[in-house]
Amino acid sequence: MHKRLNIWYLSSFLISFIVAIPIITVFTSFFEDTSNYFEILKQTFFLEYIFNSITLLIGVLFLTFILGVGSAYIVSFYEFPGANFFKWALILSFAVPPYIYAYSLFAFFENYGTAFTILKHLFGDGDYNKHIPKFSGMFGLILSISFSLYAYVYILARSSFLYQSQNLIELGKNLGFSKLKCFYSIILPAARPAIVAGLSLVAMETLAEFGAVDFFSVNTLTTGIYNAWIAFDDLAFANRISFFLLLFIFILFLTENLSRKKAKYHLESKGGFRKKEKIKLYGRKSFFAFMFCFVLFFLSFLFPLSQMLYWTIKFPENLIDLQIIDLLLNTLYLVSLSSLVLIFFALISNYGNRVSNKKILNLLSTLSISGYAIPGVILAIAFITFVAWFDENMIKALGFLSIKKIFIGSVLGLVIVYFVRFYSLAFNGIKSGYEKMNIAVDESAYLLGYSKTKTFLNIHIPYLRNSLLFVVILISLEIIRELPITLILRPFNFETFATTAYISASEDLLEAAAVPSLCLIIIASFFILLTSKYILRDNSE
Amino acid sequence: MNKNFFEITNATFKVGGQNKVINVSFSIEKEGDVICLLGPSGIGKTTILRSIAGLEKIETGTIKLKGKTLSSNKTYIEPEDRNISLSFQENSLFPHYTIEENIYLGRERKNSNKKKKINTKKIIKLLNIGKILNHYPHQVSAGEAQRVSLARSLVSQPDLLLLDEPLSNIDQSFKEEIQVQLKKLLKDLKITTIIVTHDSYEAFYLGNKCGIILNKQLKQFDDPYNVYHFPNSIEVVKFLNRGILIPAKVTGENSLENKDLGTIKGNFIKHYPKGTDVKLLLQPEDLEHDDQSNLKLEVVDRKFRGTNFIYTLKTNSNLLIPVFVHSHHIHQHEVDEKFGIKRPINIDHIVCF
Repeated sequence: MHKRLNIWYLSSFLISFIVAIPIITVFTSFFEDTSNYFEILKQTFFLEYIFNSITLLIGVLFLTFILGVGSAYIVSFYEFPGANFFKWALILSFAVPPYIYAYSLFAFFENYGTAFTILKHLFGDGDYNKHIPKFSGMFGLILSISFSLYAYVYILARSSFLYQSQNLIELGKNLGFSKLKCFYSIILPAARPAIVAGLSLVAMETLAEFGAVDFFSVNTLTTGIYNAWIAFDDLAFANRISFFLLLFIFILFLTENLSRKKAKYHLESKGGFRKKEKIKLYGRKSFFAFMFCFVLFFLSFLFPLSQMLYWTIKFPENLIDLQIIDLLLNTLYLVSLSSLVLIFFALISNYGNRVSNKKILNLLSTLSISGYAIPGVILAIAFITFVAWFDENMIKALGFLSIKKIFIGSVLGLVIVYFVRFYSLAFNGIKSGYEKMNIAVDESAYLLGYSKTKTFLNIHIPYLRNSLLFVVILISLEIIRELPITLILRPFNFETFATTAYISASEDLLEAAAVPSLCLIIIASFFILLTSKYILRDNSE
Repeated sequence: MNKNFFEITNATFKVGGQNKVINVSFSIEKEGDVICLLGPSGIGKTTILRSIAGLEKIETGTIKLKGKTLSSNKTYIEPEDRNISLSFQENSLFPHYTIEENIYLGRERKNSNKKKKINTKKIIKLLNIGKILNHYPHQVSAGEAQRVSLARSLVSQPDLLLLDEPLSNIDQSFKEEIQVQLKKLLKDLKITTIIVTHDSYEAFYLGNKCGIILNKQLKQFDDPYNVYHFPNSIEVVKFLNRGILIPAKVTGENSLENKDLGTIKGNFIKHYPKGTDVKLLLQPEDLEHDDQSNLKLEVVDRKFRGTNFIYTLKTNSNLLIPVFVHSHHIHQHEVDEKFGIKRPINIDHIVCF
């Protein structure tokens, strides 16, 4: 029976399986031998790696929680001058990847840096360097990552706050709760799953962060993974560290999940929802709310933007030297190709899941989308190792010419690894679109004489067009900012804004990194503004 | 040679988990007939419709339409190739099309029976959805969405139309009017239809035949009149809830004796030997009110149903008996008052178990 479903089921199964290979590889690393790097590391830096990773994670989670939840609360519950502007302006921090924030932070506060220049212009010559705080090392890293990633928490917390019914808030008032008590007892617990979801994204990004960590020379587990591969060519050990990273994140959020027990945080009924009325702030309170949002917007977006703009103006030769058109075309080429591939396969996989509704496929899909939690460095290395192994043991053994060049140092290889890394974005984006569509819609189409393919093309695709657009923009944004995969797998002489900025910065030419960074911020901002309509969509609307 | 338009033979339907509806057999003899399936929620009525439509498998048995096997252990025709339309209980409209587009999509069916001429505008008018044609599905109420779904199914001119609780979300005030129009429409268009409902009055009105599904089985499949007046099991009586079973002893060819009501006369539909203890089905219209009667029972409840009252009377043995009284009856009886029953009690037909 259901013979015609097999093609969809098979395609969906194959896609999910291919994407799940790197995740399976990470989990099987325990059965492989590692080099003596592990022994050396255990006696030297391993504890430092773990300590640094945990410190970084705690610091970033704490700061993103305060910044994300605080700003989301203010813009969701209160009306003050600029509230509508900050609603979307605060997500612009996404346009500044942690490594570009790190360049700005370091450059502004370094000896004879931008802060020094400003003070000198304002107050004349003086020994300002000893009074200017230095943001380097772990502290600088925490700030860079937090200001870049807090928007994850902001977006999800805000959406959850907006969904809270006026009834819930009034209930608190009826019980005689103060505003503070209302916040802690009703508003915050109700938004807990959303906040945790935001924090989990922040945690995954933090532990996978490469550019900023490398810039501030802080040894974390991600650096360990990179070193294991670069210095010792020990992929199994790199995978094993990745496994610990994943396990760590998993335990953290499993603990949180268990602590909720069976508590529910939202009402299943759609009825009874009353849109919240924002509280209008006046005077001092209004000023403080404005200042909180403005300072956050300034620090997270305007500050790195201004720093990069300042350098671009100060050193215009870098602008002239840079092949901006080439970089833009390269970036757009990668973006469009990857988006096309991701959308195509994620659509087929989702539809296969929908029409076949098999548990094994659901499980495999869940596994396949966890690729987002694996650091880009690991994926790139795993891919190279797999291609090398396949080339050596299968292709050459059969007497064919090497295929290494086709996959390593090529756009094809780059797109394949992007595919694995960002598959979850595409899959989940389309899935959330599908979840809004009752299965009875498909069945109605069949009963009107539509085949599975016709239903997919004539009913699903038009319905999903907004979700698809959103997914394309989201993928584009990620690829524009992506660093380690592009760095490791890009073809010779093929640069993007991200790699150009990184290479200049790693050669201590921060001024030269400014132009590509600025371009990256501008393009990313453009994409963010395009998505803001979807990201900030009010649930109540 | 098999001449039934549609038939299900010995089919077993998997409802969910371990639940099943087993060994179901029924048929629709003529094209254009309407049958209704009645049963409590969750019993598997919708599953039967879905299986006929091809959206679910049957475990055993055969489903045939116009002599062609649709489902059996060897055959399975895809839903899109069956020319069967199912109007779902929940909203199944295409969310990105307007109401009008949704309805007209129904006309695109390849296998439509083009012999029939169907007037889409008439259906739209009949179902009172003309004002919402430019709306999108999320902008209409559940009742409106249900009517649109019904319209879409009707215009697709299927060989067999399946309606799952088609009027469940429709306002009571509008429901009866739609029932009348729907019945007329189905008859005019000669669309063979199977309707699932939990409303027995709706089933009795719309269906040429009714099927009662209880305890995993099709308990009775018969004319509505027979289902109501001649239920074939105690389960059907209890499900229809239109009467009570009281203990009685057969005293003759045409009589029984109940210790509270005395002698009851009528025509047995099944023969019982004299002296047999039976359970007699007593329906609200079986007893007549008579203020002069010496058989007085206590009123424990009174329901006003517009055209009539239903009095619930308590006998000396604590049996609760329902009795219809026209609402224009000269005077009403309050709870705790005595209520006279006309004697001797004559029942048109005697149903016993």
